[in-house]
Amino acid sequence: MNLLADVVAPAPLVLDGLVVGAILFALGLVGILARRNLIVMFLCAELMLQGISVSLVSWSRHHGDWGGHVLVIFVLTVAACEAAVALVFVLQAFARTGRLDAAAWQSLRESNLSRTIDRELPAIDTVPPKFPKLTPAGVEPAADEDALLEREHV
Amino acid sequence: MIASILPSISPGTLLAGGITATAASLWLLLPSGRSGAADRTARWLGWLLGIVALASFLATGHRLGSVGEEAVFLTVALVAVISGAATVVSRSPVYAAIWFAMALAGVAGVLLVLGGQFLGVATIVVYAGAILVMFLFVLMLAQPAGLAPYDRVSNEPLLAAVAGAVLLGILSLSIGRLTAEPPSCCLMSGTKAALLAGSGSAAEPTSAAEAGIDMLADNHVARLGGELFGRHLLAVEVAGVLLLVALIGSIAIVSRGAADAAPAAARRVAP
Repeated sequence: MNLLADVVAPAPLVLDGLVVGAILFALGLVGILARRNLIVMFLCAELMLQGISVSLVSWSRHHGDWGGHVLVIFVLTVAACEAAVALVFVLQAFARTGRLDAAAWQSLRESNLSRTIDRELPAIDTVPPKFPKLTPAGVEPAADEDALLEREHV
Repeated sequence: MIASILPSISPGTLLAGGITATAASLWLLLPSGRSGAADRTARWLGWLLGIVALASFLATGHRLGSVGEEAVFLTVALVAVISGAATVVSRSPVYAAIWFAMALAGVAGVLLVLGGQFLGVATIVVYAGAILVMFLFVLMLAQPAGLAPYDRVSNEPLLAAVAGAVLLGILSLSIGRLTAEPPSCCLMSGTKAALLAGSGSAAEPTSAAEAGIDMLADNHVARLGGELFGRHLLAVEVAGVLLLVALIGSIAIVSRGAADAAPAAARRVAP
């Protein structure tokens, strides 16, 4: 009995799915490593989870069982929990430092790592975005002062 | 596809070129504190190199059989990958979140093509509908006006881009090797094979085409639900408890943190 004969190479669709998953995971990794905004870092973590999900569903298709699908459902669950707790931490960090900057917490770094020092950045020369303006329609009714006062105390 | 047009390029060269282009593209695209014309040039160059890298990955892709399937898969995969790259390199976190929503749409399409109908819809509903909106709420609460300086620089962009590209290269190599030889995980150990041979039953199909088709049957969601609440019922219960713990935990952190953060904020404002 030839054991290798039973092992079928993955279908082209499965292989392409695996490549897409790998690309998404690598992109998320680059973002986690390089970006400094806490929220963008969490978005990149979610991007890595998406890559994992695509890979899992590809393997599920290959093996013809539901394990990958079930695992992706649990990945969704854990991602929801992670996002809730992590965003609360981000909010607390923002309340304490006023910045969404990972380097604002660099006092927690290992003692043998060098300090992140921000250099002076050149000014941005972009023009502010132009938003469309609605033409005012109708006439603003005169405000009833008594009603305004009453409403304020409600 | 492209490999048939350019038969002279070997797959190894193609992969190496694609990895190099990926690293250079990500390095140019990541925020690095440049401004003005230099920034614009770097970004254009980065996107061009990114297209080169994508083309080299497309060239290693496979024919899926039908033109329609190929076109659909290519479209959703490109949407997912390009939006994912834009998520990583966007300066403004709000734009990053919006691009991430686009990437989620692409990923949902890929899942649909791969036969995960329920998961495709669940990704849109849970991620784009709930988690992403939570991110946007936090951005509204915590985003300072304008582009913050820490959004315009990166930690070691060159090293990060090279690390990501090398990881991608290793993963692509191992995926490409799947067609050449079976992975060791799927080889049966001697005793199991002997048992199967002894009982006379055929080996359990590793890639049963009929099982794959079965997965695309009409009652897909019912079967997934049966598997989830049958074999994995305990795990579902644990996941429910995990959600409850996360809910209670985040409420506890918020209410205790608010009391602690008020003096800190006051100290920050006072001087």
